Amino acid sequence: MERSQLLRQVAHQRQTLFDEGLLDEQFVQLEELQDRTNPNFVEEIVTTYYQDTSRLILNIEQELERRPLDYGRLDGYMYQFKGSSTSFGAKKVKAECSLFREYCRAGNGEGCMRTFQQLNREYATLKRKLEAYFQLARQARLTETASRPG
Amino acid sequence: MGAEVDHVSPMGMSGGSAEVNDKSEGLRFSCKNKLTALVVDNGGVCRVIQTALLRSYGVETEAVETGEAAVELIASGATFNLIIIEMLLPVLNGPETARQIRAMGAQSKILGITAFFDERDQQEFLAAGADEFIEKPLSLEIVIPIIRELDN
Repeated sequence: MERSQLLRQVAHQRQTLFDEGLLDEQFVQLEELQDRTNPNFVEEIVTTYYQDTSRLILNIEQELERRPLDYGRLDGYMYQFKGSSTSFGAKKVKAECSLFREYCRAGNGEGCMRTFQQLNREYATLKRKLEAYFQLARQARLTETASRPG
Repeated sequence: MGAEVDHVSPMGMSGGSAEVNDKSEGLRFSCKNKLTALVVDNGGVCRVIQTALLRSYGVETEAVETGEAAVELIASGATFNLIIIEMLLPVLNGPETARQIRAMGAQSKILGITAFFDERDQQEFLAAGADEFIEKPLSLEIVIPIIRELDN
């Protein structure tokens, strides 16, 4: 693929992440922290975010199988999830975290489970689209390297 | 609406360790003094991001996962201009961490930080000795005025 076309595709894919409400301004601040001394900062943050949150998802899943539900524990896990998602800029995931917590505080188990399912969907969508974006961005960087005079 | 795209790959800031990039005003200014900070957060991604943000503004920053580790660090003689403490830490929570740090005579600016703002948490943190209490994320709008204040 011609490089300029590739660059346009990368830019378009990035913009889509914001236009679809998956990411917010906080993610832009993370991108601005990336520089020559830390060229993989954003991807490293993404990896850390998914490490943190996948553990929390497992914990929440296990808690949602217990009866009666321990709303205190669920609340605690979702607090951490929201903190990580807010700091990362995961806009839709963050919104589901807030909704889940409201159901938790109301002692509404069904609401918690429904919201958790939606959260999982948003989380998976974000992960998939970020992976695709970074893969394309890496491809673009490779073509930049290849096109430099030797 | 969404962030405007003005580049393909994320391009970050460059600059010396004492330089501060005031993006909100489009100006650069240099810290007159060496500033230090401690981030206390059990969330990995939060800890890394807060640390990177402060370091990008020339603040020498350390990070620990627990309140106990923060208290130990201060007790060992470490001093910091700024300490950012997460509200819900395991075992020794944010306010108790702040209380113990203040009890040791630390005069650092203490910023309590939380994933969900709650007035009772705010009152508890401020009563324990924190100077401010904010909801995550730690953003430029919050960091820049704090750095300016500490630098003056």
